Amino acid sequence: MIDLDSIRETLGVRDPWVESRGTHWLNPGTVSVRELAVLMNAVGARFVTITAYQLPGTEGFRLEYHWDLEGRLIGFPFVIAGDTLESAKFESIYDLCEAADWIEREVHEGFAIDFTGREYEPLLLRAGDKPGVNLREMAAPTGVPAQKEVAK
Amino acid sequence: MSYKIPMGPYHPGLEEPYKLDMICEGETVRDAELHIGFNFRNIEHLAETRNYFQVIALMERVCGICSFIHTLTLCQAMEKLANVEAPPRAKYIRVIMAELERLHSHVLWAGIASKLMGFKTMFMTCFALREKVMDVLQAISGNRVNYSMNCIGGVNRDVEDPTALLALIDDLEREMTRTVIPIFTTSSTARSRCAGIGVLTHEKAVSCAVVGPTARASGVNQDLRRDAPYAAYAEMQFEVPVEQAGDVRARLFVRALEIMESCRILRQALNNIPPGEISTGADKFAFVTGTATSRVEAPRGEVMYSVSWKEGSRNPARVHVRTPTFANMPAVRWMVRGARLADTPLIQASIDPCYSCTDR
Repeated sequence: MIDLDSIRETLGVRDPWVESRGTHWLNPGTVSVRELAVLMNAVGARFVTITAYQLPGTEGFRLEYHWDLEGRLIGFPFVIAGDTLESAKFESIYDLCEAADWIEREVHEGFAIDFTGREYEPLLLRAGDKPGVNLREMAAPTGVPAQKEVAK
Repeated sequence: MSYKIPMGPYHPGLEEPYKLDMICEGETVRDAELHIGFNFRNIEHLAETRNYFQVIALMERVCGICSFIHTLTLCQAMEKLANVEAPPRAKYIRVIMAELERLHSHVLWAGIASKLMGFKTMFMTCFALREKVMDVLQAISGNRVNYSMNCIGGVNRDVEDPTALLALIDDLEREMTRTVIPIFTTSSTARSRCAGIGVLTHEKAVSCAVVGPTARASGVNQDLRRDAPYAAYAEMQFEVPVEQAGDVRARLFVRALEIMESCRILRQALNNIPPGEISTGADKFAFVTGTATSRVEAPRGEVMYSVSWKEGSRNPARVHVRTPTFANMPAVRWMVRGARLADTPLIQASIDPCYSCTDR
């Protein structure tokens, strides 16, 4: 069985692995997600998914990348800034990890995060052409009268 | 000269909300594009608006075939956030329900595959078998589709007389070994429609990170029940069937052998189910702030839930669902390349796709 610490050492990460509620977590620090994907391919880990979370206020987003390594679920959290539809960007790993294709498209459509270095086909999950309305909390559009005002 | 043939979203060979645009030369498929999302429901967003009881009922409706698996995965994640552990008897009941659901799903798939092969007699045989499994699921849970069995900290209903169910397992296993498996393995109809068709190579299966029987039929030896046991699976003895050919026939074989292994697991669980409570009995839970993940081996492969909570809240902050069909479906593009056009409905069906899960 592959020693998780050997992965940490290869990445040059000082923080230890932390096992918490079903996942072995490693804070990747300055390691890019593409470097991580290359290493995961090299150790034979199976890509599982990316889970996106919108952080409060204008803090941006957290992306959790999950791989399965010999039955162990390992996770790497990344925080990305950007609170407007155009500003949230993150590197795509699609060219390194074919299995990440649909989930990158899903996150793009759910949160309007642009995975750079790839092209998007028409939207995967729904009609229309604008991403970012499925799961992202948006500010209320301006100029729309409140219901109470309309009732008057 | 190449031309594009759309199959779906409304097509007699593909009665599901899904579209395969195939680039053909003559009768041969050269490439394909997949389109999903025709019935997208955004259940993940709805989950954020439901409290910890309601969200279980909601997520049960992600899938109409493996509804139990979805609530099991969700409840296991919520139990980690609430620091609750299901009692041993509940864990056994979870295994029993999960394996019955696998039986019903695999037999249903065998029936649908038979229909797509033009083998209607086998379709009727498989559906008659499935009916028996559905009757047991109904006898245990009171329901035939959405079982309402899982709760945080256990299950809602007991299996009152576990050994009485053993006769069904014997009956099902007998039908499988006497009728279904021999016909699927020896009939020239089944062989000519399945052997060498829709091949997914081992390398491509690894690259696409496919899961479940689709992966195991391409030589990828993975099964969460063995590799990362949950519920009471650590106490069960069973084999994980793996085939190397990667074609439709291999996927059929893997599922047939899994039916036999499910019967084996069910016998162990029914014979050894421990006495005791079926849940912790609590109806109020204090969730901690954070994220929990849970993974379960569904009939189609790995289901994963990431559940995020904020302390003091009754609703989850985020529920992310990674379903097996979402992982398997992109591989259909590689399976249909080089195939005859007439084989494509069977090839896409051979991954046992669940469109309800995909369009969650």
